[in-house]
Amino acid sequence: MSNNVSSRNRHHRVVLYSLLSLLVVTLVLPLVPYAVAELDPFAGKVANPGAEFWRDVRQRDRGVSGSTQVKGVDSGVLINYYGEEWRQFRMQRLVPYGAALMGVVLAVILLFYFLRGPLRIQDGPAGSQLQRFSVTERTVHWFTAGLFWFLALTGLILLYGRYVLIPLLGPEGFGVTATACKEAHNLFGPLFLVALLMLFITFAKDNVYARGDMKWLLKGGGLLGGHVSAGRFNAGEKIWFWIAVLGGIVLCVSGLILDFAVFGQGRVIMGLSHVLHGIAALIVIAVSFGHIYLGTAGVEGTLGAMTHGYVDLNWARSHHDRWAREVEEAGGVLTAEEAARRQGKLSASQSSGEPVTGESQ
Amino acid sequence: MAIDMNVFQQFAGQMAQLGSMAQPTDYPDEERVERAKAVFRKSIGAEQAGDLEACVKCGLCAEACHFRVSTGDPKYTPARKMELMKRFYQREMGPFRWLYRLATRDITARDLEDWQELVYDSCTTCGRCGMICPMGINIAGIVTTTRQALAEAGLVPADLRAVQQEQGAYGTVFGAGPDTVRQAVEQMRTRGHDVPLDKEKADYLVLTSVVDMMLFTDQLEATIKIFNRLGLDWTFRTDGFEGANFGLLAGVADVQKQASMKVIETAIAIGAKAVIVPECGHAYPALRWSGAEIYGKPLPFDVYVISEFLDLQLQAGKLKLKSDNSDIKVTFHDPCKHGRYSGILDEPRAVIKALGVDFRELPSHGMMNWCCGGGAGVFVIGSAAPLRQAAFGIKYDEVNKTGADKVLMACGSCRLNFLKGAQDNNWDKEIVSLVALVGDNLE
Amino acid sequence: MIGDFIDGPLWYFSAAVFVIGVAWRLFAILRLRGRKKVLSKPRNTTGGGALATILRRFVPYREFATVSRGRVIAGYVFHLGLFALLFFAAPHMEFIRDRITGFGWTPLPYWGFIVASQLAFFGLLLLIIYRLMNPVTRLLSDAGDYVSSILVFVVMLTGCMALLQASEALRLLHLFLAEVLLIYFPFSALMHTFTFVTSRGFSGAVFYRRGVNY
Repeated sequence: MSNNVSSRNRHHRVVLYSLLSLLVVTLVLPLVPYAVAELDPFAGKVANPGAEFWRDVRQRDRGVSGSTQVKGVDSGVLINYYGEEWRQFRMQRLVPYGAALMGVVLAVILLFYFLRGPLRIQDGPAGSQLQRFSVTERTVHWFTAGLFWFLALTGLILLYGRYVLIPLLGPEGFGVTATACKEAHNLFGPLFLVALLMLFITFAKDNVYARGDMKWLLKGGGLLGGHVSAGRFNAGEKIWFWIAVLGGIVLCVSGLILDFAVFGQGRVIMGLSHVLHGIAALIVIAVSFGHIYLGTAGVEGTLGAMTHGYVDLNWARSHHDRWAREVEEAGGVLTAEEAARRQGKLSASQSSGEPVTGESQ
Repeated sequence: MAIDMNVFQQFAGQMAQLGSMAQPTDYPDEERVERAKAVFRKSIGAEQAGDLEACVKCGLCAEACHFRVSTGDPKYTPARKMELMKRFYQREMGPFRWLYRLATRDITARDLEDWQELVYDSCTTCGRCGMICPMGINIAGIVTTTRQALAEAGLVPADLRAVQQEQGAYGTVFGAGPDTVRQAVEQMRTRGHDVPLDKEKADYLVLTSVVDMMLFTDQLEATIKIFNRLGLDWTFRTDGFEGANFGLLAGVADVQKQASMKVIETAIAIGAKAVIVPECGHAYPALRWSGAEIYGKPLPFDVYVISEFLDLQLQAGKLKLKSDNSDIKVTFHDPCKHGRYSGILDEPRAVIKALGVDFRELPSHGMMNWCCGGGAGVFVIGSAAPLRQAAFGIKYDEVNKTGADKVLMACGSCRLNFLKGAQDNNWDKEIVSLVALVGDNLE
Repeated sequence: MIGDFIDGPLWYFSAAVFVIGVAWRLFAILRLRGRKKVLSKPRNTTGGGALATILRRFVPYREFATVSRGRVIAGYVFHLGLFALLFFAAPHMEFIRDRITGFGWTPLPYWGFIVASQLAFFGLLLLIIYRLMNPVTRLLSDAGDYVSSILVFVVMLTGCMALLQASEALRLLHLFLAEVLLIYFPFSALMHTFTFVTSRGFSGAVFYRRGVNY
């Protein structure tokens, strides 16, 4: 009986191995042609006749240009290979790195504000006033600043709107907004060139390097404490001026190339301009956060210089001592009352508001 | 003859006392407002309504005003001085008054008090702001009407009011009455001049002014010499001699009328062909451009200011002048009320040319001449002294730029103000009357 | 539905307010004519003083050329740009042709539109900022002046945003704001569009009579 048992077991084993072998063969057999194709040195010679064509269509080999009856820039290029690179750059570099840059700058400013607080006027306000910016200077500043922020906001909507505004407005709503922003951005762009020119003419002469600027920089501009000497503009303001001017030139030139695509510039140049435009814009925007902070909450008594035009004498001595001395020597220090008068701040009885004594009509 | 600077000091001293001599014109607040509004309601015509509706507040007028420019204070901007009247027009006369009454504040007595400084102290109604206005708004005209409204509300500054009240009550200015005329005439007769006084009939009624009789006697003497040399049938009259009209300056209509009618009635009584106004700024327009309106019909005589009259006589070949004065360096200050207001610009220049002097125009001259700062009665307003001094600074610089030694005047108020300015600044310029210079150069 | 309202009834209503309001405000000035009798003998008797001043004041006197240069240039740039847009922008011409006049004219080419709008925005922005920065104009200006300026600005802005007429919503927004502007116009300082004639004309005539080329 034992023979019967052993023969039955062997039979079972044979069946099992046979089935396993069959499975392996079934699975592996279809791979054989692939393996053969892979190992066979002659396989490539039997090419798909369409492969070459599609390769050219996709512009794998850069700079292939076809011929067409259509007359126009890049009209011989069926698919712009650079477009994909540009898209990759925009989505994977510009958008996240730009957001990070702005975020980091904002965070640093906030951190600095909470750790160090606003810079105070040494010895407190003196009362007497100096005119820091004339009507023309202030007008030019706000004209440039207004245009800059209009362009920055419309530009940022075009760059980041899909992440921020589509959830709020829905795709159709954002479509309308983006169209409007694009039109407005293109329309106001060229004005910024004029504004930049006006800004340059107005402020350049006081923004050239002067003795003491390097020392100011080495001392960290007094942000970390201690008094630093400066003229009408300190080295930090000068650097901001040149960032604004040079960044502005890059923005204007690249912007004009994008805005007026009628001078034969092709997609490669347009793509490159767009990259430059985006990088320059994000840098200038990020630095402008610092400018705005220092002009408002960051330094006590600064904002008035750009609104009504006057600053306190002690403010000037604290931050621009050499300029303050020049103005003092020229006899340009006004009493608080005189400065208020020139700003058109009327005495109580001359204000056209409600009667000060409180008696009602 | 030279003027007596002691008399000038006396004048200055007298003016400082004026405020204390004024009779009070106090009314309850509501009455002040009502009286002022009544003037506006009566006076605003199409010209002023058109002006009030057109201002776009461009602020250019600020650049033309000697008080705004010299003080740097924006509250003196001419366009701002129109706002009181504008508010009245919009709320009570304008086409959308029902709407403006919802949106704007009514005029209060306090507003009127605030406007006193704006239309009296800080405005000589010189009209230079009207020249820069792109809308051609006659801002000085609106200030004049606002002065009338404030005057009716009893808010003429005390010093100016004192003179106006004197002229209203006694017909005299600074105490100068018929006796003053007689004395002045007597003085001129002792100097050898034949001076006709109170002739029954005469072709020319020549007016004078208290300042000419007491201080600027060189102008008076020159006028006498010129009329005698021309051989004209002329006279001074003790019942109608005063050219100055403080009713007009203060904005008090009945005193203005009384003063003008005195001259008009005298001129008609003596059958005058023409009335000659002396070197006095406002006296000319007072008679020339408001006389007929006050009289109620066209005047039966002509009105000339002396510089205009001299030019007419030169043109007619009747007036002969010495013209060997090329060593005298002069410049000329146009009185606002003659030049910009009345178009008498070429006439004084023709006279100056005939004198053969080394004539240099001011940088801003003629229609664009800067006011001296003392016109329209501002010279007598004590509280306006700092403003006048500041504004005179502009004139001081302008004259210095010409390099002239003498500044020719055609207006007594301007001359007073220039003398004061010269004194304050230790100025080496001689302040000379044009008619006096002509009188010295009769052929 | 709201689109139909903006395109229909509101347009007719605002146009009516504009026409009647402007006429009524001008009439209110002219009805005061002749309140003051003028009896003094004129120095100039020929006419033409009013017209001469209306024309002369388009250019500042040389005396004030320097001091007013910036404002005059900005003002001209703005007004000329605005007029070019208002009457010669292609969509405006079509609108006026279809809804008002019944006839059309040659509109600006696209680049002309771009240039005109740049000029208009340049001038208007500078003037608004200057109004805020100069103590003189800041003191003179009231809310109405800013409302006027800003209303004109947003009408121009929405107009340019709707430029491609890609979106009906943007076109309607532009039309709606323009209608608001038309309704606001007769009650505001925007009336200087017409009143410059009365102020210059009356002053010119009054001064010319006295022998002054005002």
